[in-house]
Amino acid sequence: MMAAPFLRMRDISKAFPGVVALDRAQLAARSGAVMALVGANGAGKSTLMNILGGIVSRDEGEVFVAERPVALRTPIESLQAGMGFVQQELNSLPTMSVAENIFIDAFPRRLAAIDTGVCNKRSRELLRRLGSDLDPRAVVGDLSVGDRQLVEIARALRRDPRLLIFDEPTASLSPRERKRLFDVMRSLKAQGVAIVYISHFIDEIFEIADDVTVLRNGRTVFSGEVASLSKVELVRHMLGSLDYEARLQRRRPAEPGVLLRVASLKRSGIIDDVSFTLKAGEVVGLWGLLGAGRTELMRALVGLDPIDAGAIHWSENGATVRIGPAELGRRAGFVTEDRRGEGLFLAMSVGENIVMPNLRAISRLGLVRIGEQRRSAARMIERLAIKTSSQDQRVATLSGGNQQKAVFARWLAGAPKLLLLDEPTRGLDVNAKTEILRLVNELAGAGTAVLLVSSELEELTRVCDRYLVIVRGRILAELPESATAEQLISALSLTDPREIAA
Amino acid sequence: MTAAALPAPLSVARRSWLRTAVVLLLVAAVLSVLWVFAPNFFKLNNLINILVQASILAVMATGMAVVMIGGGIDLSLPFSAALCAVLGAMYMRATGDLAIGALIMFVAATFIGLLNGVAVGYLGMIPFVVTLAMMSITAGAAVWLTNSISISHIPAGFVGFFRERPAGLPVPVLIALAVSVLAAFLMSRSVFARQLYAIGLNARAAKVARISTRRVLAMSYVAAGASAGVAAIMLTGRLASASANLASPSMVLDVVSACVIGGISVYGGAGRVWGAALGALFITLLGNALNAAEVSLYASQMIRGAIIIAFVAFDRFWGRGG
Repeated sequence: MMAAPFLRMRDISKAFPGVVALDRAQLAARSGAVMALVGANGAGKSTLMNILGGIVSRDEGEVFVAERPVALRTPIESLQAGMGFVQQELNSLPTMSVAENIFIDAFPRRLAAIDTGVCNKRSRELLRRLGSDLDPRAVVGDLSVGDRQLVEIARALRRDPRLLIFDEPTASLSPRERKRLFDVMRSLKAQGVAIVYISHFIDEIFEIADDVTVLRNGRTVFSGEVASLSKVELVRHMLGSLDYEARLQRRRPAEPGVLLRVASLKRSGIIDDVSFTLKAGEVVGLWGLLGAGRTELMRALVGLDPIDAGAIHWSENGATVRIGPAELGRRAGFVTEDRRGEGLFLAMSVGENIVMPNLRAISRLGLVRIGEQRRSAARMIERLAIKTSSQDQRVATLSGGNQQKAVFARWLAGAPKLLLLDEPTRGLDVNAKTEILRLVNELAGAGTAVLLVSSELEELTRVCDRYLVIVRGRILAELPESATAEQLISALSLTDPREIAA
Repeated sequence: MTAAALPAPLSVARRSWLRTAVVLLLVAAVLSVLWVFAPNFFKLNNLINILVQASILAVMATGMAVVMIGGGIDLSLPFSAALCAVLGAMYMRATGDLAIGALIMFVAATFIGLLNGVAVGYLGMIPFVVTLAMMSITAGAAVWLTNSISISHIPAGFVGFFRERPAGLPVPVLIALAVSVLAAFLMSRSVFARQLYAIGLNARAAKVARISTRRVLAMSYVAAGASAGVAAIMLTGRLASASANLASPSMVLDVVSACVIGGISVYGGAGRVWGAALGALFITLLGNALNAAEVSLYASQMIRGAIIIAFVAFDRFWGRGG
């Protein structure tokens, strides 16, 4: 019933050293329709788009544009085939004008100079095509995020592409700006452009897309009309069949008291009025899709990112005090999602990494007591069974699981009452994952409160006592330990009640 | 130097053997040039002279090394030393009080370091720009205070002290040794140093590891300022005068070169601080060798510049540590 698709990618495979990024993936996009491309982190979306852009070459598979095979060996070939990429507005050049941004890679010239007249005139035409009357001479840095996005779309439209790729364009847009973007996409659609739209936001896909393709672990697991499936089915396709393992057993504290109460935490555009409590010895899963504000919430809590408003109350020994995020950062252990970039000092030894946040405790008169350092590190290496030849080994040379244990070790030395764990099992093999989860479980059993982020539901369900569902920076629901995977998945497609009202 | 015997528990301080080999080759080349063109160079008295020449550079390079380990740079050091020497010398000339005069030099330079530290650490300004501006301010202030006239008539007791040779070594050499050993000890053992290396390696990770990066960075500039204060005292004592032209842009280059050759990474987070003192010694030897070989001033400047670029390139492509 459908017309032949404008773009067809068939059996695309691509392997990088050590990983298979794409395994016979499929993608088809029709002219005059929006194809949503979705998938969890690492599903292969970026690789597929890089192949389309001529940035990465495919190992196997064929690409057809308007029924004709294309090679796509270079970005130029991709342009010639009619592909256009809308860059994120973060890539715009803020000190330059709208027209300069649009024409930055190919200024129209007269003699040796840039022809500003033609530049402005054509920019105005392109923007008008998007329904905007932005002044081409305006400085981009003065524009709203939404307007910058339009400038980026105009830049992509300049070469008159027949297929436009939007890569997570709405991440930083306000609801009103998002509406306008969708209007633009609809009008481009009406002009016969094929659109590939990458997004993590389920509600948006149902609002704007005609078709949807789901990638998981490099394979296309679903492709079809959006109307043919429900939101829950879509999330299930993204997450895949869950491989449940038994819940880890744990001794619960008899009378757990509230340790932490967060009230109305806000950060403009990122965290929206978040309130919750954590009890001692409790593991709470912060459950949401990538880009929902999970990492941002954790970073704001420990003072690594600023907050606009909100209060944090800490209760210990019957006394409750209000503390700032910086103070919470001193009391809580924080395991970042970016182990190598933020969690560890790769050039330093295992021992040095372990004692880094607790140097004061093992020093006298401002001097580190080396004997104390070695004892402290040795204790942690033994307690967490970190596999290392000695504590002098460089941490960069450890396996991922052991590196992550080293990150845990540095916080455990201070016996924190609260641990914030952001994707603590990312990139680890199955055994290492289980070891980390056991550790989390054991710590909670000893009375530590844990806030845990994971993209893998089957991990959360092994240790969590409660779930907070986060969507677009808001906690939209709280589910009990007994929540089924089905319920958790459905919760992700919840829509913010205020969005509907808007 | 004796500092080599100190414990160096920080793994990042180690540099590759290849780099050490290159430095040793350069030293050998410089020494052979001296052997050929200035055989008298190797007489004991002359060697001691070289140590005296190197001592002031070594003290400032040690301060610079601390800042560079944190990933910064302090271009104002020599000019700050000159200004503070002038301030203290004016006080000495007016009152004859040596101790207070020396104290003024030290405190003023430390304060200038604090200003740099606050600007870089707390206000988040770019080290290069802040300290370049501070270099201009201190250079201007010194000329303004002295009208470019040298302040002589430094009390004889002060000058005499720096000519003493307890244990056979002149006082400036002993001071440089003491500064170097103390700095090497603190930079391998102190909490401050550990945190500074961490910031130099990865400032984001340092924040996550609860290090108050602003305070530690500011402290590193204070330490560098203090080294300029010590250098100011030594300069005044050795030259028996203080003037605005104690410092020159080429001295800034020498301080940076000493650090770079001594194994301090310009990218931060790597190198041992006593390497900077050895680097200072090398720079002094190099200057003497170029002189002895009658290389013109211009060519000698070019060679010094080329050596810096070569070592920075070396660190860029052969990585940190080994």
